[in-house]
Amino acid sequence: MQLSDRLLLQQTRRHFFQQCGAGVGKIALGSLLFQDHLAAAELLPNPLAPKRPHFTPRVKNVIYLFMAGGPSQLDLFDYKPKLAELNDKPIPESFLKNKRFAFMDSFTKEPPKLLATRRKFAQHQQSGTWISDCLPHMSSIADDLAVIKTVATDNFNHAPAKVFVNTGSTRFGRPSMGAWINYGLGNESQNLPGFVVLQSGPRGPRGGAPNWASGMLPTSYQGVVFRNVGDPVLNLTSPEGISQDRQRASLDLLRNLNLQRLQSTGDAEIATRIASYEMAYRMQSSAPDLIDLSRETQHTLESYGAKPGKASFSNNCLLARRLVERGVRFVQLYHTDWDHHGGPGSDLEGALDQVTTEIDQPIAALIKDLKSRGLFDQTLIVWGGEFGRTPMGENRETIGRNHHIDSFTMWMAGAGIKAGQSIGNTDELGFSPEERPVHIHDIQATILHLMGLNHLQLSVRDQGLDVRLTGTSGTVIPELLA
Amino acid sequence: MPGRFRTMKRVLLVLPLLNLMLSPLWANDSSTSGERDTLRATINKNSTHWSFKPVTKPDIPTLQTPSWARNAIDHFVLSKLESTGIRPSSEADKETLIRRLSLDLLGLLPAPAEVDSFLRDNRPDAYEKLVDSLLNSPHYGERWGRHWLDLARYADSNGFNIDAPRNMWKYRDWVIHALNQDMPFDRFVVEQIAGDMLPNASLDQIIATGFHRNTLLNQEGGIDKEQYRVEYVVDRVNTTGIVFLGLTLGCARCHSHKFDPVSQEEFYEFFAFFNSTEEPTLEIASDRELSIRNALRAQAVALEVELEAYKEVLKETQSDWESKLTGQLDSLEVPVQKALALDFGKRSEQQVSLILDAYTKQDPGFQQRSSNIAELKDKQPHFETSLVMKERNEPRETYVHIKGDFTRHGKTVLANVPAILHPLKKSQPSRLDMARWLVSRDNPLLARVTVNRFWQRFFGTGIVETENDFGTQGALPSHPELMDWLAVEFMDPTTYPQSVPWSVKTLHRLIVTSATYRQSSHVRPDIKPVDPYNRLLARQSRFRLDAEVIRDVTLTASGLLSRKIGGKSVFPPQPAGAMRIGQMKRPWDTSDGSDRYRRGMYTFFWRATPYPSLMVFDAPDSTLSCTQRNRSNTPLQALTLLNDRAFFELSRGLAERVLNSTFSSDSERIRYAFKRCLAREPANSELQPLLQFLKHQKQQLPQFPEELNALVPKSTDMDSARHVETAAWITLSRVMFNLDEFITRE
Repeated sequence: MQLSDRLLLQQTRRHFFQQCGAGVGKIALGSLLFQDHLAAAELLPNPLAPKRPHFTPRVKNVIYLFMAGGPSQLDLFDYKPKLAELNDKPIPESFLKNKRFAFMDSFTKEPPKLLATRRKFAQHQQSGTWISDCLPHMSSIADDLAVIKTVATDNFNHAPAKVFVNTGSTRFGRPSMGAWINYGLGNESQNLPGFVVLQSGPRGPRGGAPNWASGMLPTSYQGVVFRNVGDPVLNLTSPEGISQDRQRASLDLLRNLNLQRLQSTGDAEIATRIASYEMAYRMQSSAPDLIDLSRETQHTLESYGAKPGKASFSNNCLLARRLVERGVRFVQLYHTDWDHHGGPGSDLEGALDQVTTEIDQPIAALIKDLKSRGLFDQTLIVWGGEFGRTPMGENRETIGRNHHIDSFTMWMAGAGIKAGQSIGNTDELGFSPEERPVHIHDIQATILHLMGLNHLQLSVRDQGLDVRLTGTSGTVIPELLA
Repeated sequence: MPGRFRTMKRVLLVLPLLNLMLSPLWANDSSTSGERDTLRATINKNSTHWSFKPVTKPDIPTLQTPSWARNAIDHFVLSKLESTGIRPSSEADKETLIRRLSLDLLGLLPAPAEVDSFLRDNRPDAYEKLVDSLLNSPHYGERWGRHWLDLARYADSNGFNIDAPRNMWKYRDWVIHALNQDMPFDRFVVEQIAGDMLPNASLDQIIATGFHRNTLLNQEGGIDKEQYRVEYVVDRVNTTGIVFLGLTLGCARCHSHKFDPVSQEEFYEFFAFFNSTEEPTLEIASDRELSIRNALRAQAVALEVELEAYKEVLKETQSDWESKLTGQLDSLEVPVQKALALDFGKRSEQQVSLILDAYTKQDPGFQQRSSNIAELKDKQPHFETSLVMKERNEPRETYVHIKGDFTRHGKTVLANVPAILHPLKKSQPSRLDMARWLVSRDNPLLARVTVNRFWQRFFGTGIVETENDFGTQGALPSHPELMDWLAVEFMDPTTYPQSVPWSVKTLHRLIVTSATYRQSSHVRPDIKPVDPYNRLLARQSRFRLDAEVIRDVTLTASGLLSRKIGGKSVFPPQPAGAMRIGQMKRPWDTSDGSDRYRRGMYTFFWRATPYPSLMVFDAPDSTLSCTQRNRSNTPLQALTLLNDRAFFELSRGLAERVLNSTFSSDSERIRYAFKRCLAREPANSELQPLLQFLKHQKQQLPQFPEELNALVPKSTDMDSARHVETAAWITLSRVMFNLDEFITRE
């Protein structure tokens, strides 16, 4: 720091502490800027400064693997031999009474017929967890998973259902889970945003940005999309002709002038602005390093199936590890194309094989890698889609299933939870929970709980309501807690 | 009478605790509706909340030091300050005032010449003259129009995952125009809610109803259309409640309102006003234009019918044609040749029609007829369109949705307004009756809520801090008498001789000419402990500009701003990959020419893939009505202003402006740039580091020719000195555009 800056800063400090009284005590001028000279926890309000959780957290980070489109639990985790027996038979009408489905008209013209899985199921490892042959790598880590077979959600259309899983509401415009967690806990990373979104698959997830929005919370908490092509973060690269030196010189001048204005107006926002610029500068140097996978060993790259410079779910899993290593609290991976209705490119045969192949190896590799680096103990991994799929097939040219919200499978892994178990049982057709129903709000409450946050306490007031991730409902799933 | 006894007991028990209650008794399923009404009436009578009381004009308080006050507003503010022993702040300097006024009223920066002439103007009413000229600027409607569009949840696409584009800009322009014309606010409201139902409604009045067509539209496959139609109607009810009444009616959708006296039944009674609408697309054309077009269309249809008949006639000679073709097959397209090679009976349906097409195409009679039709179609004019409201011929029945579930029908209800508010004295009221009820002088909320929103724009916070909740859960007004005085003054102005009721410009003039508004915004150490949130208004507030205005000030300072008002939305440059996050990849054909430099509010707004730099600076996502924006302060904002090419290319604009000015020394030029950006002269402590930076850049850039050429591509009409000067000035301009003060209104 230049001498003139330091003098200015000291004047500013004196101004605040002597003249402004106690009202601004908690302000902390980004530890970064004055790290060497001043203890942190001082000057200015930084919305991203780490905050105290409600109670001791079990994990520090979340990696949320979002399988966009609605994976078929009946072909992956929820084994129903009865469906094989009743294959092609109409589903008893009692099941359909008062139920609503997507594509209602086409679905109810004639009673839909049950569809047996064509996948082979087996029990794996000590836990005896049922997993189909679509996921051989995941089968090899079955004991690390806690599979929840009876998750229900509220909406059967992709965009609102996805927004519901992320924000707890089917209405667009509410804060997403990652935003809530950063709002509750602040950001631990000095160089990177606290909530990062990674995408793979043929298109972006339906619903788009509202899935990682901050809603009525400040935008500081929204998810930042790291891109596969070009800059990992929009506008990360300085314009051509602005070298790192020139950028630094520009920032020094900016800081000088901003500090002068801070001194003359006394407005603490200016100090936050200075801190934001310094964070931006550090992101410029740390983010390219972050996404540069070429520094990983050949062994690591191969285990994930990752290829530097190529956009894939494998690369994103490896990036997720690098992000949590660097203190990013909430990493969300979207992998699209799980909407297997049947028909060209969306059947439960080749099309399902393709996505399961894309995700199977990297997920197993991620879990093993986190373990070997001692990160598994502090990371929660969540796997699931916005809903599941029906036990009935659809009347299309190739086999597929419709959207199903009454019961579908999600799993969690990581040291925060009790692994090697399956929670909940569905009826013999896999239609409804028979034992231990779980709602998406319970999943959300559990994720917050593992991060040290109480889902009913974490709220923000908006339009006369206390808005929460789970509304007024949601219960932490006790079986999951180790 | 056990029922009545139960009710009485509840009333007695509960009234003192009303504000602490989590759930009202009338929501209890066990109480009968008769009981509920009695109970509600009792509660209402006993605990009428301030905002539901009629608005009356309070007396203007007398002051110990009346000389500070410039108008009635100041009497209310100062009398409260006097009672707490705090002095108001001194008036901001003139440079700050002209920049503040320009930003608040126009969202643009004053030009250096305007600053100079204001500084030189020593007339006692120089400030008022400036205010009047700004209020008359056509850019006023843009700035205040954008505020209104936040409430209206305006966007250029349908939202959800399909997010198809929609044509709504005519509605946006209607808003700008109405504000520029100072359309009385009561009319402004009625036309937007029910302009289509006014007698002899004009096209403009129908376009105005686009207000409630700004709802999202879900076009995803497999949805239940009725479910989403209900969602859109609910959104209209909620938006109407928040925008015009400051009430959160939405809570009553699923249960009787927990805090405010609105029952679930009343929610659906209000819902009924919007339940019988159609949602047409209006073609914006006069009746005459439409009838000409329709006549042309009918002619074309008639000719098409005739053409089909002619084709039938031609068919009779088709086999002759085919037999004559031998040897000339090469002139036909390959699929036709293949089809002809087959026996007549073996041709597929598609092939039969392929051959027929090929045959008819070469017939002169057919060619003539086809070209006549094409010509007629070309002649048909295409009109701009806008989404509007229209009442159905057959009204829909409305019923209570049990627990908010549209499939569970409860009691049938008729359109009506909540009993807690002033009555709508008409049987079977229509949407238009409801609109007129909203703007009735008896409505205690509309004027209060609206005045409060204006106040919020001018001071950063409303007199009622919870500007979207005037209900019992909202904050109390910091200055209740001022609030009511302003509300009455809005409806029946007395301050200026010629002003008309509900004149927005008159009210804005009143606010910005007050001494309260003209105070300095510097933080005052002496009042910080007593009034940390500046609720007493012993100073002005300093706050970051809105997303669109950040673009607008950069455009103004660079000299590149296009001052065109209205028109189709435009596509300024955005970072590569910005459109990739949506499910449907939507186009972004970057605008050229002056459309590249339009104000931020004209940027095409895709709801699923919104323009990144707008979102980074907290522009609303346009899913729901937004009554107050966040003002965050993040590293992504820094990256945007530093590196986004839409901003960076404007640095060159400022550089050229400065170098083409009459100033020749570096310090004069810096002063000029400073004034373009900040409307003031730099202090020496600011000038010196800027000079050093510029000098350093000028010395250093020639040593890095690659960077130099990247900043300014070398062109033949530029000597090397100018080349380096331009590049150095680009780097300095970029710093100016990133100053906190530049994107802040002080």
